[in-house]
Amino acid sequence: MDKNMKSNLKQLALVCLMLLTLALAAEVAQVVTSVELKKEPFSDASTAAKLPAQSLVNVLKRQGAWVNVKPATGEQGWLKMSAIKLTDGKTSVDGKKSDNGLGTLFDLGKKSRSASNGVAVTTGIRGMSEEELRNASPNPAAVSKMDSFAASSSDGQNFAAQKQLRNQRIDYLKP
Amino acid sequence: MKNLLKIKLLAFAVTSLFAQSAYSFGFDDLKNLDIDKISNIAKKTEGLKPVDNNAEADIGKGVAANLLGAAPLVQNEPLQRYVNQLGTWLAMQGERPEVKWRFAVIDSDGVNAFAAPGGYVFVTKGMLLRMRNEAELAGVLSHEIAHVLKKHHLNAIQKSSQTSIMGDLAGMAVDTKQYGELAKKAISAGTELYARGLDKEDEFEADRMGVVIAAKAGYDPYGLPAVLQTLEAINPQDSGLALMTKTHPTPTARIQKLDALMNKNLDKYATQPQVEDRFVQTVGNYARK
Repeated sequence: MDKNMKSNLKQLALVCLMLLTLALAAEVAQVVTSVELKKEPFSDASTAAKLPAQSLVNVLKRQGAWVNVKPATGEQGWLKMSAIKLTDGKTSVDGKKSDNGLGTLFDLGKKSRSASNGVAVTTGIRGMSEEELRNASPNPAAVSKMDSFAASSSDGQNFAAQKQLRNQRIDYLKP
Repeated sequence: MKNLLKIKLLAFAVTSLFAQSAYSFGFDDLKNLDIDKISNIAKKTEGLKPVDNNAEADIGKGVAANLLGAAPLVQNEPLQRYVNQLGTWLAMQGERPEVKWRFAVIDSDGVNAFAAPGGYVFVTKGMLLRMRNEAELAGVLSHEIAHVLKKHHLNAIQKSSQTSIMGDLAGMAVDTKQYGELAKKAISAGTELYARGLDKEDEFEADRMGVVIAAKAGYDPYGLPAVLQTLEAINPQDSGLALMTKTHPTPTARIQKLDALMNKNLDKYATQPQVEDRFVQTVGNYARK
């Protein structure tokens, strides 16, 4: 196995691990009002169960306006995104802690590495405050640095082609 | 090595803290903006080209310099290139091809994203790490792109100023000194906007446009509502969210407005890709370092 292939495989394994971690760290949501849990992500799909208001569910994945959820008891199914509110991480279903977004990975990072190497995702430590914005002294060198990362139209097209993203005409929405 | 950098950063932060009183709010150093060069270009092309695009770019550069003075760029070239490629692809779906678009991740734990006139778009590390896939990042960047497409910041600067600052800038480009002073005022007002916020209607408009731009670029358009739902779950008193809370309508209000419109018009694009793997790989590689 050549060196390149080895490093590619290593990379792939890491991404798989990261995706797995993301899937395992469940997001917990609360059902806003009593709602029908659908078997598929369509309004006219058959109903799997009826969920009472305030009940907790684990969010498994999303697709468009729909979220795939698993209640504490019973089968998984689909709800409209607007039927749930995510929780702040203090609640749990089946003892799993809620955690939203990729930040989950870095908690893992913190545990398996020394504390100084882990990237903390706690908010509020160095948030940009009004004061900081008002008192900032300009950094034109950073703007030049930012300019140096600019992408060309063909970079953009290649980026889209890599993932088969196809552009299309759609009108803006009227309020 | 890392610790050394931390000590250096800390020393820099402490020094800046003491130096702050020496800087008035705004922008004292216009030298780097190359006003002369811009004015000369304006002189040469006067009557041929509208000069306000030059003025817009110049104001944007100054505002971006102020923003990057408050929070530095994340030091990770692959990540910065990634957001530029994605952002450029999204901006190509808009109607301002003349804008020179530039994107950056800034090193702040605050949860926020910003745009400046002339095509500068920023997202904080704190916000990026709360996202799940590329469609969510696309939704946020598209919202910011929409602010630039509609010149929301320039209009707000104009509104906040006593004189017709934007019109004057366009007419005055030939006079280097006057132009410089007016630009300085506009940059100051533009930076102040990050603390004060835009009109709520501008934010709702950028949401409506943002989901369409993401869909036009081939993504699941529900990335932006998904991010808003994440924000909804954060305590609004959390200091990382304080600035966003102050300057934007509530996430709940934004989701509700989008929900009704999107159901009717964008549902057929809901199965477009979210591109989770590339996002997790790129952002994960940065965050593991």
